Amino acid sequence: MTPVQNALALLFLPLATALVTALFFRRQPAVGRALSLVAAAGIVLLGGRLIFFTENFTIAAEWLSLGPLTIKLGILVDDLTKLMLFVVAFIGFLIHVFSIGYMKGEAHAARFFGCLSLFMFSMIGLTLADDLIMLFIFWELVGLSSFLLINFYYDRPAAVLASKKAFIVNRIGDFGFLLGIILAYWAFDTITLVDIAARLDTSPDLVATSIALLIFCGAVGKSGQFPLHVWLPDAMEGPTPVSALIHAATMVAAGIFLLCRVGVIMTGDALTVILWTGVVTALFAGVTAFGQRDIKRILAYSTISQLGFMVAAYALGSLVALRNGADQALAGVTAGAAAAMFHLTTHAFFKALLFLGAGSVIHASHHEQDIYRLGGLWKKMPITFATFTLGTLALAGAPFFSGFFSKDAILLLAWQYQPVVFGLLLFGALLTAFYMTRLWSAAFLGAPRSDGAEHAHESPASMTVPLVLLSIGAVLAGYGWFYPSALAVVPTAALALLQGEGHTLVAVAGSAAFVFGAGLGLLFYRPGATGDFLQQRLPALYHVMAERFYIDALYDWYVAKVQQRFAMLLNFLEQILLAGLIVRGFAGLVGLLGLGARALHTGSLNAYVYWFLLGLVILWAGVAGVFNLQ
Amino acid sequence: MSPLPFDPLLLAIAAPLAVALAIALGLPKRFSVKLAYVGFALPALLALHCWYYFPADAADGYAFVTQYGTGLSALGISLKLGLNGIALPLFVMAGIVGLAAGLYAIQSGAERLKLYLMLLLIMQGGLMGVFASIDVFFFYFFHELALIPTFIMVGIWGGRDRNYAAMKLTIYLTLGAMLSLAGLIAIYVQSGANSFDLIELRRALGEAPLALSLQKYLFGLLLFGFGILVSLWPFHTWAPLGYGAAPSSVAMMHAGVLKKFGLYGFIQIALPLLPQGAPSWTPLLAWLALGNIVIIGLVTIAQRDLKQMVGYASVMHVGYGLLGVACLSVLGAGGVVLFMVAHGLTVALLFMLTTSIYHRTGTFDMQEMGGLAQKAPVLAAFFLTAMLASIGLPGPGLLNFWGELAIFMAVYAHAGWMVVPAVLGVVISAIYGLRAVGSVFYGQPTENFLAHQQKHPVTDLRWNERIPALILLVTLIALGIWPRSISDPINATLSAFYPAIEAVATRITP
Repeated sequence: MTPVQNALALLFLPLATALVTALFFRRQPAVGRALSLVAAAGIVLLGGRLIFFTENFTIAAEWLSLGPLTIKLGILVDDLTKLMLFVVAFIGFLIHVFSIGYMKGEAHAARFFGCLSLFMFSMIGLTLADDLIMLFIFWELVGLSSFLLINFYYDRPAAVLASKKAFIVNRIGDFGFLLGIILAYWAFDTITLVDIAARLDTSPDLVATSIALLIFCGAVGKSGQFPLHVWLPDAMEGPTPVSALIHAATMVAAGIFLLCRVGVIMTGDALTVILWTGVVTALFAGVTAFGQRDIKRILAYSTISQLGFMVAAYALGSLVALRNGADQALAGVTAGAAAAMFHLTTHAFFKALLFLGAGSVIHASHHEQDIYRLGGLWKKMPITFATFTLGTLALAGAPFFSGFFSKDAILLLAWQYQPVVFGLLLFGALLTAFYMTRLWSAAFLGAPRSDGAEHAHESPASMTVPLVLLSIGAVLAGYGWFYPSALAVVPTAALALLQGEGHTLVAVAGSAAFVFGAGLGLLFYRPGATGDFLQQRLPALYHVMAERFYIDALYDWYVAKVQQRFAMLLNFLEQILLAGLIVRGFAGLVGLLGLGARALHTGSLNAYVYWFLLGLVILWAGVAGVFNLQ
Repeated sequence: MSPLPFDPLLLAIAAPLAVALAIALGLPKRFSVKLAYVGFALPALLALHCWYYFPADAADGYAFVTQYGTGLSALGISLKLGLNGIALPLFVMAGIVGLAAGLYAIQSGAERLKLYLMLLLIMQGGLMGVFASIDVFFFYFFHELALIPTFIMVGIWGGRDRNYAAMKLTIYLTLGAMLSLAGLIAIYVQSGANSFDLIELRRALGEAPLALSLQKYLFGLLLFGFGILVSLWPFHTWAPLGYGAAPSSVAMMHAGVLKKFGLYGFIQIALPLLPQGAPSWTPLLAWLALGNIVIIGLVTIAQRDLKQMVGYASVMHVGYGLLGVACLSVLGAGGVVLFMVAHGLTVALLFMLTTSIYHRTGTFDMQEMGGLAQKAPVLAAFFLTAMLASIGLPGPGLLNFWGELAIFMAVYAHAGWMVVPAVLGVVISAIYGLRAVGSVFYGQPTENFLAHQQKHPVTDLRWNERIPALILLVTLIALGIWPRSISDPINATLSAFYPAIEAVATRITP
């Protein structure tokens, strides 16, 4: 098998199983599950072959040619692709295994597994894309798979609303992305990323900044950056494995991947905007997490916050490089991309772990998701508890866990760039430890506070084995030796940052943020509490946070009161003015001319002749200059 | 070039007409239906045949050229048939949509089925003729041949408001057709070619172009003539009303194929023959097209009636086509041809499935449905796929996406900022598209719908509905995956036609 055949087989295997499931095995959950699992295993094998036994390569073919537009689609396999592919294939496989247990007894499981395969196809296509259009095509397809999986329970109104919200909010981001692609094509005369890099200096700065920011819009939508983050918490209506795979580990990280892919077209101005978007998102989502009681929603806001860290990391690295006078466009993997992708990788491990842990809890406690109605699970679900604790430590940035190193690299870049940004991100890190301790303490410690939690018992092996495997990654993925050499380029580059100026201070500060955050968490959120500390002491503040700072309400208001009313108004004008007045006016005019609507209705020859004469009159008038065009 | 011993184009036109004639002459019903299958299938098969054998290097850009005398040679009229790179994809699309509409009509069990099928077959013959004609007179004649059955069928088999709808349809479309005819005749008279043959006209006008002011007037005439036929804003009000009332197969064939006559006329006739007349009109055309996209897009959001919504959505999407025409470039026009094929297949599928939904819910009111996916998952999957295609989602709607992308690229090159409201349509269509899918298929059924289900148990999409849907969907997806199969001929033909236009084209916005 040549590398190209390998890549194509990898891409189309999950599509094939999705199609076979959809066409022939809709009603057989067992077959759908088996096919999907075969696809996931095949992806690990084919992906592993591509990662470990194949040199980097790129190949493209002409797909469409019209006048000056030539679109070539193709495959690009480089270090970035390989790392992303590793995350998608490995975590994807574990989540498939987990789903076997989680979706047991679900009548529509075949649809679930078919959609999961469709998602894998889309995500792999996104990873392999060598150009902006192919990226966009698969970008939209991951959005479609996400839509289909969020409304997996399509008889639940909340799931339907959430899926629509996700799709439409993403389309708003894609609106910018598509405009960016169009501008990029006319600026660089190509959509192929490698060629864009080669032709870079021909573009004027303002256009380059616009292109960069427009493409960033896509990432804002998909990676849940402020203010388009609103869809992601609602997306938790989907089954929990979906939340783990799509809405935590892979798809939402696609925005980061996109930024790293198009790194060459970034400009200083654009990077500054991107930086602050990331910082605001990281803090905003971190604060909002305190106002949530649903275990999956807390994790969702945590995901948004961590994505903010990644976006900020990406911008910081390039800004530092630009300030140091480096030509960042031509460096292989830039510092920012390395830090962002490194955090993406460690985050994929521990956040997938946390979501699957949450899934295990929800599964065991008969769909209880309120953390204050759980409790006491440390004793009843020891494996879930142990692995969840490891995941929490990794996310909270406990020293020597994976999240500590990847966050340390980001903080170090921030320290080198600007003390203010460093301070804000450090505060963000503290918040992370704080709210995760709240979640951990309320859900697992103390005594059970509901029947569901009371009767919980450990999940089956198909669910706990993935938890254990993921927890290994959550602990160790911060060390360079964890990665085989084929994957090591990005982590090594990120870890090299940790040797940079100010590393001791930043490491100490990062550790202190964890200690303080976790300490505050234990102090304020005592195990066994039946209610929220903040809710009892500062109900007004808690309410604002629980209402997500009214941003969702603002969107709802806009949709219902502005957009819908404006549409209704236009529709009213349309119906009354056009359908009523003008057409009846025409009919009246026709009547005046002695034609009569009835004659027209029959399509008789006379009417045609009259109309023909009318046309001739207009023509004559035109030629005679009655209308007097310029 | 064609291995067949006869003219495939003439047969594609004549076969449905001959079947229609046989039915008119009193063929018994069961033979009528069987023969109708042949009448609908032959054009599609012959179109695929032409596509397969279409040569890369045809003389004058035309292949399969044949000419038949009509006794009107004094007027320069002869039945000259042939396909170039622009006509070919539309000819294929007309065949495929006609086949799907025909199959859907046969299983519909309409009253007076024989008459219904006969009129549809006449329409199908006309549709094939429009895109196969090199002679401008026949181009117009075949359009009328397809149009008149439309009026009759809306009047007889239409739904709510059918008389008003039929009248309005007739007034508007006749007015549009008359304006176009006046323009075409004027071109014929002024060209001095003494021929309606498009190749002759192009040659004559290439050597001795019309005076600039005359070109402007004639283009203006065609602009409004074709514009009304394509439902250019604000001359579009016939469309949602007409489609709302039209029986589904008629809506499929009209919205899918016949409506493309106007856009096709712009690209194949008006722009190549009147290149210098166009630039003074294109800013107006572009602004009105934005009216289609943005205003009608928002109006679509406000619709409750599913069929009206699909009608408005189709009016909205036509705005992309008109905007592409206004760019006066190979890229813009090529994008429009891709888009027309995609739109034709998609809108036909949507109208068809809308009727299938109606048969299960007893209403078109989207607020009186809900939860249909539980009972009819296959119908849900088809409708969702069709709707996603219509909103240009790459995947099911890859071909729609290629068309839109080419148009957007052209718009940015020729009209700068206008690309922003145009691309905004992508968001607007997602809103109404998902809303429709959500309120029809997801959630819980309303009480009225539950009561309806008690009396009329809901079944999933039957095979005789699935087959026409699959024909449309498979064609759409296959063309989307490999767009070069049609874009290469389009590009070759347009690159030969359009240098004169691109030379005089000016930017639409400053």
